[in-house]
Amino acid sequence: MPDAAKTVLVVDDDPDARAFLTAVLADHGFATAEAKDGVEALSAIARSAPDLVALDISMPEKSGVAVYRKLREDEGLKHIPVIIITGMSDDFRSFISTRRHIPPPEEYISKPVDHEQFVGAVKKLLG
Amino acid sequence: MLPAGSRGGAMDSRERQYFDAMPCYLTVQDRDLHIIAANRRFRDDFGEPEGRHCYQVYKHRSERCEICPVARTFRDGEPHESEERVRTRAGAEVAVLVRTTPIRDESGATSAVMEMSTDITRHTDLEERLRRSQRRYRLLFDTVPCYITIQDRDLNVVEANRAFQEDFGNGLGRRCYEVYKHRTEACTPCPVQETFDDGEPHTREEVVTSLRGTRQHVLVTAAPLRDGDGHVTGVMEMSADITQVRALESRLTQLGMLIGTVSHGLKGLLNGLRGGMYLVDTGFTKGDTDRVQKGWETVRRNVARIQSMVSDILYYAKDRVPNWEPVSAAAVANDVCALAAPRAAELGIRLTTDLDPAAGEFEADVQAVQSMLVNLVENALDACRLDARKPDHEVIVRLRGNADRVQFEVADNGIGMDRETREKAFTLFFSSKGTGTGLGLFIADRIAQAHQGRITLSSEPDAGTSVGVELLRRRPAGPADGEGRHPHPEDPSHA
Repeated sequence: MPDAAKTVLVVDDDPDARAFLTAVLADHGFATAEAKDGVEALSAIARSAPDLVALDISMPEKSGVAVYRKLREDEGLKHIPVIIITGMSDDFRSFISTRRHIPPPEEYISKPVDHEQFVGAVKKLLG
Repeated sequence: MLPAGSRGGAMDSRERQYFDAMPCYLTVQDRDLHIIAANRRFRDDFGEPEGRHCYQVYKHRSERCEICPVARTFRDGEPHESEERVRTRAGAEVAVLVRTTPIRDESGATSAVMEMSTDITRHTDLEERLRRSQRRYRLLFDTVPCYITIQDRDLNVVEANRAFQEDFGNGLGRRCYEVYKHRTEACTPCPVQETFDDGEPHTREEVVTSLRGTRQHVLVTAAPLRDGDGHVTGVMEMSADITQVRALESRLTQLGMLIGTVSHGLKGLLNGLRGGMYLVDTGFTKGDTDRVQKGWETVRRNVARIQSMVSDILYYAKDRVPNWEPVSAAAVANDVCALAAPRAAELGIRLTTDLDPAAGEFEADVQAVQSMLVNLVENALDACRLDARKPDHEVIVRLRGNADRVQFEVADNGIGMDRETREKAFTLFFSSKGTGTGLGLFIADRIAQAHQGRITLSSEPDAGTSVGVELLRRRPAGPADGEGRHPHPEDPSHA
C-alpha cells in the first residue's frame, strides 16, 4: 500500500458522514483522523499536520470557512491540499472566488459523496 | 327721498327715473306691508302691486312671513337683511338678498320702509354646487381605504380622514411622527418634509403602530398642496396599508429559504444514506457483519431523519388545525422516549423520565405534540453529542400536571446556548447544529401556539438546556380550533 503513511483529516459535524469517509479512506489504505467541528479540526492540525483535509463547510463552532482560511494563511500549513465537501459547494465557490488573496481549494466534492470520486480525488492529490 | 305715506307721487320725474332704473327689485312698504311704490323691474317680474301685501306678491302667501326684515325695520328703525326665495308671476324662483332701510318723516319716525331685493340666484346656485362638491370630496376623503392627513410645515396634522382617525385617534394638532410612530423626533428622511423642500411628490415605505398596537407596513405618498400663487402651503400624505403584501412576500422569501435549507439538509441525509449503503455493501463483500450492522443502522437512522424532516416541512407548509383527542400525558411522554431511546443508546447518552403519575389526561393533537416532543428530545441529544467537555450526558423528560395544565420538560446537560443562540432559537431556519434544518423549534413553537400553549427555554453555555412545554388540559373554546389561528410569527404585524 503505497499511501499507507498518508493521513487524511475528515472534518464533518455529522458522525454518519465521518464514519462514511473514514471507512472509504481506510479501505483504500489511508490513515485517518476525525474532527467534528472547526475548533477540533484546528487543534488536530496543530497536534499533527495531516497530508490532506476533507472539509465540510457548514458546521457549528468554527465553520469550515474559518478553518480553510486559517489553513491558507498559515505559512506552515498552506501546502496541505484541501477537498471541500459540502451540500452548498456553490455558495463556498462563489465566496472564495470573491476573495482574491485566498487561493481556491484543490478540489470540491458535493454531498451526497460518490465514494469513487472521493477516493480518486484523494489519490490524485496525494499521489 | 320718498315722503311717508306717498304712493310715489311725490318723486319728481328724475327721481322716478333713477328709482325705476335700479338693477334690483325696489319697493316702498307701509306698516301693514302694503307695497306703496315699486320700481320697473319689480313691476316687470311681479306685476303692478296695486296696494297688495309684500308677502302676497313675492311669496304668494296669505300671511306675513315669520321673520320679516321690513317689520323689523319698522320696529327698531334700523336697516335689516335676509335671504329669501321669491316667485315671479311667471313662476320663476328667484333667490334674493333683501335689504331694508327706514324712511323717516319730519319728526324722525319711521313712516315707510324701502326694501331692496337683489337677485342672487346664480350666486346661490354656485354656492349650493360648491357645498355639494365639498360634501362629495369630504365623503371621498373619508371613505377612501387609506390613511390621509394634511400636514403643515411643522408636520402637524391639520386634517385627517376617517380611516386615520379610527385607527390612530384624533391626531389633529399633533405631529405626524407622534401619532403614527409614537416617537418624539421627526423621521429621517421624511417624505412630507421632502415635499415641502422641493415641491415634488415623495414615496417611502414605513412601519406605523395604531392605537390598538397593531404594526402596519404602509406605503406613504406625500403630495404638495399649493395656493393660487403656486406656493406649497401644505402637504397631503396618503398611507396605504401593505401589511398583507409584505406578509406574503416574507412568506415567499421563507419558502425560497425553505427550499434552500431542505435541499441542503437532504444532501446531508442522502450522504448519510450513501455512507450506510457503502458500509453494508463492503461489509457483505468482506464478510464483516459488524460493518453490515453499523451500515444498516446508519441507513435506518437517516431514513428516520428524512421522515421527520418531511413531517416538519408539511407542518410548515400547511397550517394544520389540531386534531383534538383526549390522551394520557404520561403515555405521550413514554412514547416519545421509546422513539428516541435507540439514538440515545447509540450516542451513549442516558435518557430518563420523571413523570408525575397524577398528571392524567389532556386534550391535544397527539401526533403533533408527540412530534414536537421528539424534536425537543432530538435537540437535547444533539446538544449532548456536541459537548466534548463532560464525560457523562443525560437527557431527562419530566411531566407535571395541575388542574388546568400539563407541563412537559426536556432537560439536558449538553453544550447549552449562549444568549444569541437562545434568542434566535425559535427563528425559522436558524440552526446551531450544523446538520439542522432550522425548522424544529420553529415548528415546535407553532404547534404549542396552535394548542394555545407555550414553550419556554432556559439555557447556559456548558451547563445545559431545559425546554418547557405548557399545554392546556382542556381544548380551548373557539379560536385555536381552526379559523382563529394565531398570527404567524413571521407576520410583520405580529412583532
